Amino acid sequence: MSIRNYFILLFMIFHFVALLAQEGFQVNGVQNNFKPTFAFTNAYIVVSPEKVIEKGTLIIKGDRIISVDTTTLIPKDAIIIDLNGDYIYPSFIDLYSNYGLPKIEKKNNNYYSPQYESNKKGAYHWNQAIHPEINASSNFNTNKEERENYIKNGFGSVLTHFQDGIFRGTGTFVLLSDKSNQESMLEAKAATFYSFKKGVSTQKNPSSLMGSIALIRQSLLDAEWYETQKEQTNLSYYSYNNTNDLPKVFSVTDVLDYQRVHKIADEFEIEFIIKGNGKEYSRIQEVINTSSPVIIPINFPNPYDVSNPEATEWISLSKLKDWETSPFNPVILANNNIEFCITSSDLKNENDFFKNLKLAIKKGLKKSDALASLTINPAKIVNLDSEIGVLEVGKIANFFIASNDVFENGIIYENWIAGEKNIITKKSLIDIRGYYTLNSTEFKNELVKITGKKENPELIIYSLDSLPLISKIVGSNINISLKNGSFRATGKYYNNETIKGRYQNIDGAFYNFIMIKDSTIEEKESAFSLEIENNIPAIWTPNKSYGFNKNKPIPESVLFKNATVWTNEKEGVLLNTDVIISNGKIIAIGTLLNPFNYFKEGEFKTIDASTMHLTCGIIDEHSHIAISRGVNEGTQAVSAEVRIGDVINPTDHNIYRQLAGGTVAAQLLHGSANPIGGQSAIIKFRWGQSAEEMKIKNADEFIKFALGENVKQSNWGDQERVRFPQTRMGVEQIFYDAFYRALEYEKSWIEYNKLPIKKKRITPPPREDLELNALVEILNSERFITCHSYVQSEINMLMHVADSMGFKINTFTHILEGYKVAKKMKEHGAGGSTFSDWWAYKFEVNDAIPHNATLLNNNEVLTAINSDDAEMGRRLNQEAAKAIKYGGTSEEDAWKMVTLNPAKLLHLDDRMGSIKVGKDADIVLWTENPLSVYSKVIQTYVDGKLLFDIKKDLELRQRDLKERMRIIQLISEDKTSKNKKQPKPEKEKLYHCDDRDEE
Amino acid sequence: MIEMKSKITVILLCLVLFSTKVYSQKPILFIGGTAHLGNGKVIKNSAVSINNGKFDIVADASLIRIDPSAFDTIHRIYDKHIYPAFIVPNTTLGITEISAVRATNDYNETGNINPNVRSQIAYNTDSKISKTIRSNGVLIAQVTPRGGRISGQSSIMYLDGWNWEDATLKADDGIHVNWPESYYETGWWANPGGIKENKSYSKQIDELTQLFNKAKAYSNGSNIIDLKMESMKGLFEGNKTLYVHCDYSGDMRDAIEFINNFNIEKKVIIGGEDALKIKDLIKKNNIPIILNRVHRLPDSQDNAIDAPFTQAYKLQKEGILFCLSYSGSMEAMGARNLPFTAGTTVAYGQEYEDAVKSITLNPAKILGIDDILGSVEKGKEATFFISTGDALDMKTNSIESAYIKGKSINLNNHQKDLFRMYNNR
Repeated sequence: MSIRNYFILLFMIFHFVALLAQEGFQVNGVQNNFKPTFAFTNAYIVVSPEKVIEKGTLIIKGDRIISVDTTTLIPKDAIIIDLNGDYIYPSFIDLYSNYGLPKIEKKNNNYYSPQYESNKKGAYHWNQAIHPEINASSNFNTNKEERENYIKNGFGSVLTHFQDGIFRGTGTFVLLSDKSNQESMLEAKAATFYSFKKGVSTQKNPSSLMGSIALIRQSLLDAEWYETQKEQTNLSYYSYNNTNDLPKVFSVTDVLDYQRVHKIADEFEIEFIIKGNGKEYSRIQEVINTSSPVIIPINFPNPYDVSNPEATEWISLSKLKDWETSPFNPVILANNNIEFCITSSDLKNENDFFKNLKLAIKKGLKKSDALASLTINPAKIVNLDSEIGVLEVGKIANFFIASNDVFENGIIYENWIAGEKNIITKKSLIDIRGYYTLNSTEFKNELVKITGKKENPELIIYSLDSLPLISKIVGSNINISLKNGSFRATGKYYNNETIKGRYQNIDGAFYNFIMIKDSTIEEKESAFSLEIENNIPAIWTPNKSYGFNKNKPIPESVLFKNATVWTNEKEGVLLNTDVIISNGKIIAIGTLLNPFNYFKEGEFKTIDASTMHLTCGIIDEHSHIAISRGVNEGTQAVSAEVRIGDVINPTDHNIYRQLAGGTVAAQLLHGSANPIGGQSAIIKFRWGQSAEEMKIKNADEFIKFALGENVKQSNWGDQERVRFPQTRMGVEQIFYDAFYRALEYEKSWIEYNKLPIKKKRITPPPREDLELNALVEILNSERFITCHSYVQSEINMLMHVADSMGFKINTFTHILEGYKVAKKMKEHGAGGSTFSDWWAYKFEVNDAIPHNATLLNNNEVLTAINSDDAEMGRRLNQEAAKAIKYGGTSEEDAWKMVTLNPAKLLHLDDRMGSIKVGKDADIVLWTENPLSVYSKVIQTYVDGKLLFDIKKDLELRQRDLKERMRIIQLISEDKTSKNKKQPKPEKEKLYHCDDRDEE
Repeated sequence: MIEMKSKITVILLCLVLFSTKVYSQKPILFIGGTAHLGNGKVIKNSAVSINNGKFDIVADASLIRIDPSAFDTIHRIYDKHIYPAFIVPNTTLGITEISAVRATNDYNETGNINPNVRSQIAYNTDSKISKTIRSNGVLIAQVTPRGGRISGQSSIMYLDGWNWEDATLKADDGIHVNWPESYYETGWWANPGGIKENKSYSKQIDELTQLFNKAKAYSNGSNIIDLKMESMKGLFEGNKTLYVHCDYSGDMRDAIEFINNFNIEKKVIIGGEDALKIKDLIKKNNIPIILNRVHRLPDSQDNAIDAPFTQAYKLQKEGILFCLSYSGSMEAMGARNLPFTAGTTVAYGQEYEDAVKSITLNPAKILGIDDILGSVEKGKEATFFISTGDALDMKTNSIESAYIKGKSINLNNHQKDLFRMYNNR
């Protein structure tokens, strides 16, 4: 160190002393003003992920670092600690914590009736789960036990927040010192937090993931609007707007949520930091696309107990694959240049932190990346990198001392936080092990051996018949006692060679003894060597049975020769006909087509379809598969703002099963728990692709309505008698009320938009309402209705409502009494999408008849047959055939009921629903007449991509079994955890219209 | 008490009399149809006659000489099909009408141990549903209570009758035990939960064992009447069937051990999702299985997507006696789809006539009524139907006429009435 530097050092010492006085505190007694300087010499200093000083000195004064160097110049008043080669690291930072905060408990809702409105006092958001006004700093209290759990894992500071609700409020950044709350708090409001989970709110809404998402959207809009209005005070929006410039951390529990957060982020131009669930590896592209920094837990799954081969079959391949791949999650993020932080949250046991961290290193995570993820990355995210995160002059003295490389076999001795020492593992300086000669009045030249661990030595006196144990070694003081209590001694270790002390024999007499060390025992510790196993397992899309390995399918060029082709066009069913597809479209239909008019040699494949029937794919007008976490937001009578499109689950294996039944597309509908439900998603079953990719581009927008028993909660139990409506009379009024509100709303926007530019600039815009937006779209025929309906009175009623408000009901779904009002439906222009033969499950379906589809069709109502059921959705061909049986519909018409007609109902018949040149190559090959119960699907193409193949399916089963056995083998060999998870059967979540599970 | 016992005997005797009541019929001949006999055989150009409520001639029409004057009526059914009555086992048909309306549900008695409750007397012959089931060829149902550890006793009923007495084919054919589940589902229909391990599994088996010990002791002679014990007597005397509902392989093993320990002569497993996993044990113990509905999803995401469709064929290959059922959600009104589930098994490997057997003679054997019916065979009860097309395919299933005990039944129903009414509007 140069003289100049020395002066700088002196200056800084002075400077920080001034800072460190406990100002603003009343002290009971005399103040401790002296803040000593500590110099840690001979240390291996890991300054930052990029910089290491192999033999250096770290000097701190008070709570700050004043020098990190190779210097030997140490201030005179410094207390020198010779680390003798020990490692120093910057202490870790955890951004996802609830340290020092009161536990959140869900209040027992003692009300007999469901709670539809907020019961929170004060001028806050109408929804109890939105509470941006809550500040962790107001409730923070240092907590010894929680603190110790953190610091023993090397953490020195955390960002702590209330882990509850959707808008969770602000988190506070605190040092894990045992100082006062005031001194521990580095930044009172360091970030704001969000999630999709409503938490302990006792209010009904939201009950679904899509409800949460809609609520977030509307709240973000309302927070903006709040600034422009003067009519009301809302402390929630006030707080949100006041903390808007803080970093925003969004916590998710499903890797599919990344895309969901991303959409919100794009829409509102928010940059979120996403706290994930550790499964990022499985959909890494979607994580990359968010371009958000992520915070990940390292709660790698424990291995399963695979000893019972039958029970092991219950463990899904996706879980087995997850067990294998999860420890690679950090390195996969690093390989993809995603900025990430590691959190110790979500671990079941805090002792797993280092175990799992080292496992991640073993799986290829670079130590520098690991360190960055725990220090500088989190510091940067909360904009505190000028204070913390690396060991540099001026930074807070948060560092820990370890015996060696902590990412290998190093153990932490001390964790210094804000310049104060915390002992984690006592560095046992004294090693008493060796061979001794014992002498006392009774013993003469007895040989004694002290072995075992340094911290926990064992002592053997060869002349005594049983093994004595050293029960305790504290510093240089040793207690020795024989198991039977006949020999109890206390002694002290002197000068590295002698133990002197006294013992008491069985008669109560005391004797002095002396043990002189003859030689030491050679320590045979095997050298630690880090073995990297960086062969990342293959990740399938989706990462489960029947997923795609590496090669995602591409649109194929195929000549189907001599098929029986069900065109659904005026040509009807054509025999011995060729069909050619290319680039995802049907490009030719005819007899004896010459493929070389379309392709060059080798550019296409030919399928001899002479024994096969070729059809377009089945379209299911009414499905609830492939939906995440809730199909109903039935907590309000009108929930037009919620969107199934936000919650598509592309990993649902029912997608593959539907493909195996020839079904290629579906309208995923909101449930039927309320009169005006949510917006639909119209998707193709593009197995292996993302939620967004599944959506059919430029499809018209639809919304679910519902009538009858479900919306009036007839079968929900006696306590559900609160929400309006409870009768069909009330249902009508809900519609009128909603649409009149929508008209008023539209008017206010029209008036606002008509204002001259100058006036517009000074006039606040009307409040944007997502629910009313959707209703206005309906009024303007920009959004179309699929309405769950059963009895004729209500069908009739809704057509009256629509007629009087000037729009049309596009589709009545279920529509089991449609046959009674078919003529009226025809007149109104509504289509019907019905069950083939369901009835008698509730009172309103007592007059449901399996002839319904035929009668509707005969009355020229556009008629489809749908599933509303994952099982039925994979054999809709059979359901269509029932129209032939019961009503006598022709085969071609019956077939259209599951293909062309639903395409028309969904306004997709320009591209789907028939075999016609120019339409999408959604092709199904059948073993025979597709309406026969004996018909099986041979191949299913979606957009020309072969997504199901009966032969390949058998290969996939073999592949999946092989993969399963490979991982079971690995688990059997795994020694990392004794905690084996017991397998148990998994239950599939299957949704129907009336399922109301809670998010 | 002894008086009461004899009263019960009188009642039982009455039932036997009612159920064996025979309709007087003149001989009728059906000629030219394809007769699917239900026993795995088929006669393409058949001659089938019925006399006094029973099948008489069952033959190849081209191989026998027929005297037309011997028959009151001759039905020429060329290109049509004859099938023995389809039988739907393990169903709540007739004891439920509208699932969501509690007042119409009579299948789930309160309490855990109800071996004494009898579905027979709650059977609604005027059920609107059953009329729609029989018009698809399903003419017989094992009407089965649900719920609890022991749900009660099923009875085998014709889907025709003025009252439950004359609709009874076999009263109180067996007792239904819901075997403890080692893993059970949580939640309810509108909000399903996950699957949890049943920590009380062995305790529940112990309880069941104790109950059976008691019942067995009772069956060896007791001078007081205990309705529950009385109802279980037949299990040990070999005249009642023990129906054990279970699906997991481990549970099935335990159930079979239990059945063997009590030396139960007539035993059936209902469900048997994992039957193929323990096929050898099932074969060795000769336990028939009433399968879950064919039209269901595979039991796990990894399982073969067609596993439920191929199960019947695989069991057939193993020589295990099984039959199909339609139990599960909407089982009563859905029972009319039973024939089509048999059709699906044909698409997935089963021989056609074996598929017919799996809903005719097989269930008759399993339910212990094959001495009465189940196949088109001389001397068996003429409970059958004529379909203009293949009855296992929904595209062609069209029941032209149906006979119960030789008597033609009305195939009209509430739904057909509504169809006609609105079609002719």
